[in-house]
Amino acid sequence: MRNLLHDMNPSVKFILITLSMLAIAFFFNPWTPFLFWVSIILLQLTMSRTKWKLWLLFMLPFSIGAFGYLWTTVVFGADTGGTVIWSFAGLDVTDEQWARALSLAFRVMAFSTLSLLFAFTTDPVKFILSLMQQLKLSPKLAYGVMVGYQFLPVMKDEFIQIQQAQRLRGAKMQKHSWQRLLSMRQVLIPMLAGAVRKAERSAFAMEARGFTGEPRSAFYRPIRIGRIDILMSGVFLVILFVSCAGGSWLS
Amino acid sequence: MPEEIFHLKNLSFQFPEDELKTLNGISLKVHRGERVVLTGPSGCGKSTLLYLLNRLYPLNCDGIVEGELSLFEKLADEYEAGEINHRIATVFQDPDSQFCMPTVEEELAFTLENLRVPLDEMEPRILEALQLTGLTKLRNTVIQSLSGGMKQRVATACALIMNPEVLLLDEPLSHLDPYTAEQFVTWLTALQQQSNLTIIAVEHRLELWKSFFEREIQLDLNGQLAADRQFTSKHAVSFPERQNAIQQTKALKVAQLSVVIKDKHLLAPLSFSVNRGEIVVIAGPNGSGKSTLMKSLCGIYKRTTGTVDSEGLGYVPQSPEYLFLTQQVEKEVAYSNASNQIQLDELMESLRLVEIKDAHPFSISHGQKRRVAIGAMLADKRPVLLMDEPTSGQDAAALLELFELIDQRSKEGTTFLIITHDMQFAASLADSVLLVKEGEMTGKFAAKEVWDNAELMEAHHLLSPKGVAPLAESFA
Repeated sequence: MRNLLHDMNPSVKFILITLSMLAIAFFFNPWTPFLFWVSIILLQLTMSRTKWKLWLLFMLPFSIGAFGYLWTTVVFGADTGGTVIWSFAGLDVTDEQWARALSLAFRVMAFSTLSLLFAFTTDPVKFILSLMQQLKLSPKLAYGVMVGYQFLPVMKDEFIQIQQAQRLRGAKMQKHSWQRLLSMRQVLIPMLAGAVRKAERSAFAMEARGFTGEPRSAFYRPIRIGRIDILMSGVFLVILFVSCAGGSWLS
Repeated sequence: MPEEIFHLKNLSFQFPEDELKTLNGISLKVHRGERVVLTGPSGCGKSTLLYLLNRLYPLNCDGIVEGELSLFEKLADEYEAGEINHRIATVFQDPDSQFCMPTVEEELAFTLENLRVPLDEMEPRILEALQLTGLTKLRNTVIQSLSGGMKQRVATACALIMNPEVLLLDEPLSHLDPYTAEQFVTWLTALQQQSNLTIIAVEHRLELWKSFFEREIQLDLNGQLAADRQFTSKHAVSFPERQNAIQQTKALKVAQLSVVIKDKHLLAPLSFSVNRGEIVVIAGPNGSGKSTLMKSLCGIYKRTTGTVDSEGLGYVPQSPEYLFLTQQVEKEVAYSNASNQIQLDELMESLRLVEIKDAHPFSISHGQKRRVAIGAMLADKRPVLLMDEPTSGQDAAALLELFELIDQRSKEGTTFLIITHDMQFAASLADSVLLVKEGEMTGKFAAKEVWDNAELMEAHHLLSPKGVAPLAESFA
């Protein structure tokens, strides 16, 4: 049960999530995104092994963003009419304004939760392989991304090493963050110079091993679409339908 | 006569942005089963020639080819893209940028997928390649977590899984410690005898190959064929003898230094001292903590315990450009403002930096970059210099230049601590040797005590320079 979201075919998951987002975007009542948001969290609670602490940390900026939407829509939103339900400090908040504000805020929450669900339950390598196998992404692009992904830890090490070496030279840590951002240039130039060289070498190594970018005839690790995917597609569509219908009915 | 594999007829090659030809009128034949080494000074076009043979050039650089190149008795241009790479496999120099998949198994499978091998043949071929390279246990290991030597072995496995007829090697030993390098050669020898591979290698460190090669093709700086002869096993570059220049004053005192990062004991408490003008070589197996020691000495890593007492420690990383902060060599040396103009002029003069003082530090040669880095450290009043692997990937001329530089500076009172895998270089330069193993210091020995002590050498993955060349006799 806890593996269901992780074991799904990444492309199927990707398509389902994109579809859900598109569908939810057409509903302007507050209930639909709210119901959808709650069900996605429930789904993730029951069918995944998420590190919730990390999840909360990632949700923080989105939550602030959602609150920002709520606030600005309530305070600065265009006058739409409807009955005043609330008034303070010379501001009149009508029920329609409030509903629209809530709808926007929940939509932000629903979309960010959905994106995080994908990010937390999908192995990037598997995702790229699946894009190549199911959605016919060109191998040139797919393996390009893959090499970049392998480079990330190497680049991180290099960044730290250059920074350390330069600090030894007496390159001072700047006090203000904008100055620090500017002095990043000194670290980035040697790093990028190295990255260009590395990229060329990798390309040569791949080509020397017979990689031409042609679509492949057989995959060692076929990523298949199985029963789990049919089941989970059902679950997603039920959630989508219930929140759309329930939301319309409740408002 | 065995089948002809490569046939070059008056072959020339020029990069579109260059004015001169990189390769100039080369004619030669290579037959099946030959073991050929390509030699010549840095920048003479050895790698370019290798890339022409596996068809990476001219397509990847729009280079201009003149003359005729036949592969397996068919003109090179008549092959489709990628077709020739099924028969000619290549192992490159840099172990960090040869892979595109996370694990060993997936990397091998990537090669097979390129060759359009059917799925049911993949498993047995992967098993075979793993067994051949002794990597069976590492099948599911993440490649980036392996050491440089192991990565090179994985790269070779990826080349061999193609069942190639020819293996091209581009300085495959340059990142390996001497012991691992020797193992690699032994293993390749057995493999070559088994499968009658044709092997062409570019290599500077010929002494490590012993009698592996049977033919040597030498290029000169103009990209012309300088010699094509039978290979005779080589001694390493021989360095001139030097007198030590140790002075009586202490330049560096280390007491109870240890490093613990994230609960991992990287260095157990160690103490030693170094005199002014002394040259210390730090040696030990790959991953034993040599670099950690160096970085904690100069303060890049935080010391957990212990004190380091010195006249000022400078650090020259393997890539000296990591240190550069300005756009001009002269400014680079003067950056810290710790020396006055007269001292700076003197330093620039003695390090031969005057002629390049207006150049951009990134646009000069590797040797020059290192001199700028040393200059910057000395101008910064850091007379104890730590050098991390200055010898890796350097040709004979560059090694001699480095030797001269260090010898000269030590006479002027600079103290050196050097990490190197090049035993010949170490033997001719070191006054003392600091042996490190698994994060512990075995001890600091006088250099001549170490080279004779077989037990000590083997325990630290070192090869006696004596077995390689007679020069170490001068220490006996």
